[in-house]
Amino acid sequence: MSLSVNNAFSARGVSRRRVLRNTLALAGSFCLASPHLAWAAPEIDGALNERFMRLSGLLVNHQLDEEVGRKMAIHAARHFKQLETLIDELLATAEGRKARRVEAFFDDVPEGPARELAYWIIAAWYSGSSDSSPEATLFTYERALTYQTTLDMTPIPSFGLSAPNGWQIASAPLDALPDF
Amino acid sequence: MSHPSSAEVVIVGTGVVGAVMAEQLLDAGISVLMLEAGPRVSRGEVVETFRNLPLGIKGNASSSYPPRPWAPHPMPRTGNPDEDYLQLSGPDEYAQTYIRYAGGSTWHWAGTCWRLTPEDMRLNSLYGVGRDWVFDYDTLDPYYNMAEYALGICGPSDPDLQWPRRARSRPYPMPHLPFSPGEEKFTRVVSEALGYTNLPVAQARNSGTPYDGRPACCANNNCVPVCPIGAKYDAATALARLESKGAVILSNAVVHRIETGENNRIQAVHYLDPQKTSHRVTGKHFVIACNGIETPKLLLMSADERNPTGIANRSDQVGRNMMDHPQIGLTLTLEEPYWLGRGPVVNSGIMETSQGDFRSEHAGAYFRMNNFARNRYVTFDALRTGKVGQALDEEIRRRTACTVNLVAAHEILPDANNRLTLSDRKDWLGLPKPHIHYDVGDYTRRSARDYSMPIARRIASAMGAVEVKEPKGFAQSKHLMGGTIMGNDPSDSVVDSWCRSHDHDNLFLPGGGAMPSTACGNSTLTMVALAFRAAEALVNQARGASA
Amino acid sequence: MRRVIMMTGAGALLLSLQAMAATSTPAGDDAAVMARGAYLATASDCTACHTAPGGKPMAGGLAIASPVGDIIASNITPSTSDGIGDYSEQDFARALRKGVRADGANLYPAMPYTAYAHLSDDDIHALYVYFMKGVTPVNEPTGTTNLPFPMNLRFSMKFWNLLFLKDGVITPDPQHSETWNRGRYLVEGPAHCSTCHTPRGILMQEKGDQWLAGAQVGPWYAPNITPDVTSGIGSWSRQDLVTYLKTGRIDRAQAAGSMAEAIEHSFQHLTDDDLKAMATYLGTLPAIRTGDDGSSAEEDNRFERGSPGSDLSFRGTSYAKGLKGDSEGAQLYAAHCASCHNYDGQGTADGYYPSLYHNAALGGDTASNLLAAILYGVDRETQNGHFFMPPFGDQPNAVTSLDNEQIAALANYLLERYGNPDVSVSSQDVQSIRDGGPASNILMLARVGMAAGGIVLVVVLIAVILHRRRRR
Repeated sequence: MSLSVNNAFSARGVSRRRVLRNTLALAGSFCLASPHLAWAAPEIDGALNERFMRLSGLLVNHQLDEEVGRKMAIHAARHFKQLETLIDELLATAEGRKARRVEAFFDDVPEGPARELAYWIIAAWYSGSSDSSPEATLFTYERALTYQTTLDMTPIPSFGLSAPNGWQIASAPLDALPDF
Repeated sequence: MSHPSSAEVVIVGTGVVGAVMAEQLLDAGISVLMLEAGPRVSRGEVVETFRNLPLGIKGNASSSYPPRPWAPHPMPRTGNPDEDYLQLSGPDEYAQTYIRYAGGSTWHWAGTCWRLTPEDMRLNSLYGVGRDWVFDYDTLDPYYNMAEYALGICGPSDPDLQWPRRARSRPYPMPHLPFSPGEEKFTRVVSEALGYTNLPVAQARNSGTPYDGRPACCANNNCVPVCPIGAKYDAATALARLESKGAVILSNAVVHRIETGENNRIQAVHYLDPQKTSHRVTGKHFVIACNGIETPKLLLMSADERNPTGIANRSDQVGRNMMDHPQIGLTLTLEEPYWLGRGPVVNSGIMETSQGDFRSEHAGAYFRMNNFARNRYVTFDALRTGKVGQALDEEIRRRTACTVNLVAAHEILPDANNRLTLSDRKDWLGLPKPHIHYDVGDYTRRSARDYSMPIARRIASAMGAVEVKEPKGFAQSKHLMGGTIMGNDPSDSVVDSWCRSHDHDNLFLPGGGAMPSTACGNSTLTMVALAFRAAEALVNQARGASA
Repeated sequence: MRRVIMMTGAGALLLSLQAMAATSTPAGDDAAVMARGAYLATASDCTACHTAPGGKPMAGGLAIASPVGDIIASNITPSTSDGIGDYSEQDFARALRKGVRADGANLYPAMPYTAYAHLSDDDIHALYVYFMKGVTPVNEPTGTTNLPFPMNLRFSMKFWNLLFLKDGVITPDPQHSETWNRGRYLVEGPAHCSTCHTPRGILMQEKGDQWLAGAQVGPWYAPNITPDVTSGIGSWSRQDLVTYLKTGRIDRAQAAGSMAEAIEHSFQHLTDDDLKAMATYLGTLPAIRTGDDGSSAEEDNRFERGSPGSDLSFRGTSYAKGLKGDSEGAQLYAAHCASCHNYDGQGTADGYYPSLYHNAALGGDTASNLLAAILYGVDRETQNGHFFMPPFGDQPNAVTSLDNEQIAALANYLLERYGNPDVSVSSQDVQSIRDGGPASNILMLARVGMAAGGIVLVVVLIAVILHRRRRR
């Protein structure tokens, strides 16, 4: 068929735009751009992975899957120069505020590479993808957090929602965010 | 591997039209060989390809069906004609989507099954525009019934909610599906503010009950690009059954030539395999059902001494009159949540706006609010706001709940200048890529300007839209029609009322290409009804010949 | 798919629910007796075997697969030419209780007369009245049963009966409540639970010491329904069992195969009192511990195993890559099952599609029901709704057909993650279920016995003597 499914947002058009302000532009400038790395075994230093997950937990205050985080960390290590330094910087900011939630420290993260990394990590957890382009790397579909924000009302497409013809329910209020 | 080389009836194409034809023939005891250009894959493979797509491309139906080199089909356009399959020119782009996979493009249809109305088939007599059909609605009605039972269509039993608004000769095999919260609200709003009835869509989807061994819809909200459980009919669900009835189905077999013989009858088709080796297949009767672009392309490619402008093309109408339902999709941001995404991706629509005396001046339009879960369209925009934490959660939730896609689909008139020809550019096998010149035309443009968009804006306002995004120009509905148009006069049409070629009495060209008018509703059900008609003629012809 | 049962499986009569309580009905009141008989017959599931799909009620013709060949269910309408219209009530009683036709020939114990032997005289009478006056005669012959030699010798059943057919109507046990006694009558008599749920011995007889402890029935496994907490259904409440019999499901267990049919045709139509009575009686049976793990903790039973989660390591690659190596089973699950059972095996929130963890089909000591569900699907229509899982076997209408290797890889993933990780299957196991279940060796035994110079009767006679001695 037939559906003009995406008028709001042409994926190709968006890919040319800058995602998360300048994230990609900046990320690009940090990109190691070494083609042979694409063949590298998907390994990452355990300590770095642990810090990446800890930072993720501070930036995204929801249940986060370790396997998905590891894929993101591997991708980040390839695409963000000085990833470890940036992570340390962000962790230091958060820990300096004794922050447990992102709201408690995010305003103190200065504009620049650290803030761009923070946005990238948040976007990766919500979208499950490395960016909005058609060529992006997919980290997760089932555990992309965008679906969790509405899981009381809408399915993760392709996964069944209810018994046959059993999906009629009243509209849920906007402010009743699911716990996830 | 041995290659089957003959059957009583050879069908090129394994989409819904080919599959329906094949089953009718097999049930009549006639042997069938089906040739499919593309691969045969499992449902699970397609589902997983979809899930593996990054979020930014999930809305593109073709992306779940990567084409094989030998069977290219349109993919998201790059603008580079060497890369793109469809070669396009003209004021509007005929940038259609279809796939060359066993089972055809019903893999990713929404399943919408509107019938034509009696008026839709008499545009010229009633409004002085376009072409009339060569038979009337009552002639088509029994074939519509067959199509609805073969595919398993669910639809309303309340006559006030049926389309067209006339007594049905047979009830739908299944009740219509329930609405999502947003569809309930939309139905209320358009009724109160504009007096329109938002009808439950008649659709090829199992409603509340299994049908034909396929399960009932459980609201996976993924009809496009693939129903992951087969609750929606697609022709892929029929292939194993056809084989159990004796059909031979050959995939990765790209038919590139139709061969004529004595009395200009078709005597063989030739296909290329992925090793680029050509094979010849003979039969007594032939059905070309490769969709509205590939069928005319194959006819033109097969020009020979007897038929210098192409097979079935004495009228010079093959590839002309290319039609679709030009559509405009508005993205609305609303104050109140609509919560789309529960149930199938298209589940209701306003059809009454497709009819009226205005059709002497401009096209009618069908309005629908798509029921896709909105997360995939809003997530990146929400992220771009720079919000984090709970504010981000709320932003995504609000945008998912409070945005909708409102679509106006228009009819279009047949125009000989909207034409498919063979491009000089070649595909992987060295076969010409299709070139299509396309102009939506003033009849449809006037509708958008004076009729459909004003209505759409009133609907948007009644829904409480705080923001309306209107695209420039028309998008395609991927409903390929017109390229092998039906008529009684062999000098200005390609097929007769049975979808049989005027020029070759053992060649049938059923499907959307035959449709002389498009109306506004999706074309598949009418294509299938035509396939049932063609099958009836072919069975009679085959029996007569063998008797 | 043909209905598949054990040699003596599937049933005709199930039970006589209100019948017993209703025996005060005046004997002369034909209408009331007939209504009771009709209720009995409906509740008894005679139709399961004697009505072919799409066929006329009770006109027979259904081919019942047994381990030794197909047995054709007979026409039991009151047709005098093709049915039982000439039967006297004594003939009728003899067929039900002794497995002997009016012409004196023996029935194969596909007809569960060993259970019906327990039917009361009043119930036999009510059923007789119903079959003679309430069923429309169908003057159409069925096919004939042609079992291979020596099973085609119907008289050999006489010896089988000598061994295994016990006499007699059950007399109420005054030590127990009326409810318990009613439950016992239903369970042991008309409902013939043991026909499927009791394992069979070498001659296909029910093993008395393993009564209701679970048995293979064609491709399906009829599980242990004794009150053992680990192996049986001791963890169920009485209400759980009533709900299950009424609807075919509770959270942890769903009926499929011939149990789904029994619920569809029979149990869902029983009164709550009768279902409660059956549940009451079953709850007092001796608990039998089965399976090889005698040390299982109480909570470690087939209803509690597994937990939500999934292996999605292949996500972001491709289906072809996901199928390679260790992730094959997980990839097959994601592609072909998760669209209904969901990505973590959690099912749908409303429970229509059940979770795969905490699920009896995956947590038990055998994978038969898991494999049979995959190969044959589930189709159960009750007052509670139409529950349908499509089959993944080689049916013409199967949405997807999976091969033996794929199903084995899938099943092993599911067992490991959601079910009993000590159970695993091979592609040969899948083929066996695809073929209709493990074949019986009774035919081979009989033929080997004859080839060795004896005939099966000798074997049976010796067995009779041994059996008698043991009982002394």
